[in-house]
Amino acid sequence: MSAEFEDVLLYAERPEWADVTPLPQYQGVDALAPINYSAEYQDATDYFRGIVKAGEKSPRVLALTWNIINMNPAHYSAWQYRYKTLLAMGADLEAELRLMDDFAVTNMKTYQVWHHRRLLLTALRSPAAAAAELAFTARVLAGDAKNYHTWSYRQWLLVHFNDDDEGGLWAGERAWVEELLEKDVRNNSAWHHRFLVVWASGVRRGDEDREAVGRTESAFAKDKIALAPNNPSAWNYLRGVLEHTKTPFATLTSFVELYIVSDAAEAPEVVDLDNPAPTEGAQLPCVHALEFLADVYEQEGGEQVAKAVEIWKSLANEHDTMRKKYWEYRIRDGLQGARA
Amino acid sequence: MSSSTSKLLIPLHVQYIQSLGESKDDLLYHLTAHLRMNAIYWGLTALNIMQHKDALSRTEMIDFVVSCWDDEAGAFGAHPDHDAHLHATLSAIQILIMQDALDRVDVDRVVKFILSLQQPSGVFAGDQWGEVDTRFLYCAVNALSLLGRLHELDVEKTVGYLRQCRNFDGGFGAVAGAESHAAMVFVCTAALAILDRLDEIDQETLGWWLAERQLPNGGLNGRPEKLEDVCYSFWVLSSMSILKKIRWVDADKLIGFILSAQETEHGGIADRPGDQPDVFHTHFGVAGLSLLGYPGLADLDPVYCMPAKIIERMGLRRDWEALPRKTE
Repeated sequence: MSAEFEDVLLYAERPEWADVTPLPQYQGVDALAPINYSAEYQDATDYFRGIVKAGEKSPRVLALTWNIINMNPAHYSAWQYRYKTLLAMGADLEAELRLMDDFAVTNMKTYQVWHHRRLLLTALRSPAAAAAELAFTARVLAGDAKNYHTWSYRQWLLVHFNDDDEGGLWAGERAWVEELLEKDVRNNSAWHHRFLVVWASGVRRGDEDREAVGRTESAFAKDKIALAPNNPSAWNYLRGVLEHTKTPFATLTSFVELYIVSDAAEAPEVVDLDNPAPTEGAQLPCVHALEFLADVYEQEGGEQVAKAVEIWKSLANEHDTMRKKYWEYRIRDGLQGARA
Repeated sequence: MSSSTSKLLIPLHVQYIQSLGESKDDLLYHLTAHLRMNAIYWGLTALNIMQHKDALSRTEMIDFVVSCWDDEAGAFGAHPDHDAHLHATLSAIQILIMQDALDRVDVDRVVKFILSLQQPSGVFAGDQWGEVDTRFLYCAVNALSLLGRLHELDVEKTVGYLRQCRNFDGGFGAVAGAESHAAMVFVCTAALAILDRLDEIDQETLGWWLAERQLPNGGLNGRPEKLEDVCYSFWVLSSMSILKKIRWVDADKLIGFILSAQETEHGGIADRPGDQPDVFHTHFGVAGLSLLGYPGLADLDPVYCMPAKIIERMGLRRDWEALPRKTE
């Protein structure tokens, strides 16, 4: 890890740092006192404690903290002091973002990397800078499409700047999510983001007709389920849309019935665009479809509950034995509801 | 390393935890200094659950915790000379309570520090630098409760933020708008349990989402379509335990998965079979086994992630349900 610093002098050896008094790491607890770890790291952090104590905020502090976070990206005091120094110096914050781009990609699982960008964007107050950040996070997610920190940061940018003008920050989100789902239809982060964009963050420009949006989204989810019937993310999204728009599950019975047969060949041959059939070779019956149909029967109540119970039994004993206890609970609960 | 063992190797894991403090020359020790206080809490809690609470020196541990006090901020850092941080402060309080040494804390100052980190939205920052998310909100609620000072918290504001983090799938994310994630489900569920506000949760949907986390090999994942990991044995199980739905998991299969992630030569538990063990996964693996009723372990309180006996004695026990303890 220290390869790129090997040819560099220690701070203790550099004349331009001679005016700083290094402060060694706390040594008070004998049993836990460090003895001899990396000389570079010890040297840099000793000088860091020195400049913090002196309260210095200068370009060389930026160089020093950059050095430390390269050795230890989780050193939050170095990040914090770097940020304060940038502000105190009136530094070019966009240049700081560019400096950090590659570093963020390499260290995308470090919280501090993203928090630093968030602070910079908050200080910049610039929708243009935020748009550049959306492009940056898209690049990062192209490498690791489920990175939680990167997603949360992107969601924060959208909500914080909340720029819903034509061509504003939110404008390209749905199309971009669709691209991600083209690449990996099982990307739960992308499905979650779609729900945020379409349903959970207010009404986007052009989305005012909520019934139409509900139909489009439901069709979108059905198409994706047809491609990969055992994908929980697409089913969750479909349920989310129905519940959010208060659409009865029963409206999807004909679609769902295509997925509960044990052999795709049993499915009707007629092409029905509203009810896309499972892709060839899909593993059927689909557990999510069985579960969905049981929910339909349970919602209908009365004698239909018996049909739900039959499905739950098949889930408990055959199709989803891992969750046997859960399905047994559903049977008890369903029967109790039917008696009530 | 082998996955053939079908028992929890308690003496080996105790040795493993004891050995962790012995390599302070390593650069790795210093690169993970920001987690030192948490690591001690993980180690000590695991030892308590394995009924070996005295395997580490009490005096040395208390001295270390006290040496991490940041007198300027009025709270604990993760390591001597580190700035105070909410996560380290919670771990310090938990350690001192387990060691029956809470009298070493200036409670008034710590409470002031914690409350100063609440943001207008209701979420908490981890430190003065201002990184915010629901993990820190849980740290604050938990610590205030352990210190008997929950009444000083603005509960409505706090619950208001948690509400913003609730998603359509019943789960919770790290910040408003973020994807549901089992670790965030734990911090939000446990915080709501401490605040007696579990009514904010769609318990049926969340219980189902949690049950869906179990994969064919018995392990649990943190989000749909992700890999299993031993630490979710705690994040998922504790949430199910608080919602009284822990019976929905296939306990035998999950126990088998956790045991298969043990390092059978030097001890410790890894994230999954064949990987390097660490104290984090050792702790959360043991914690999960306790909630599953594994024989010979002490009860773990899933809300505070501390020995249940201690939480009961403090009068803080919430209404949760673990699987009954099995006999060997």
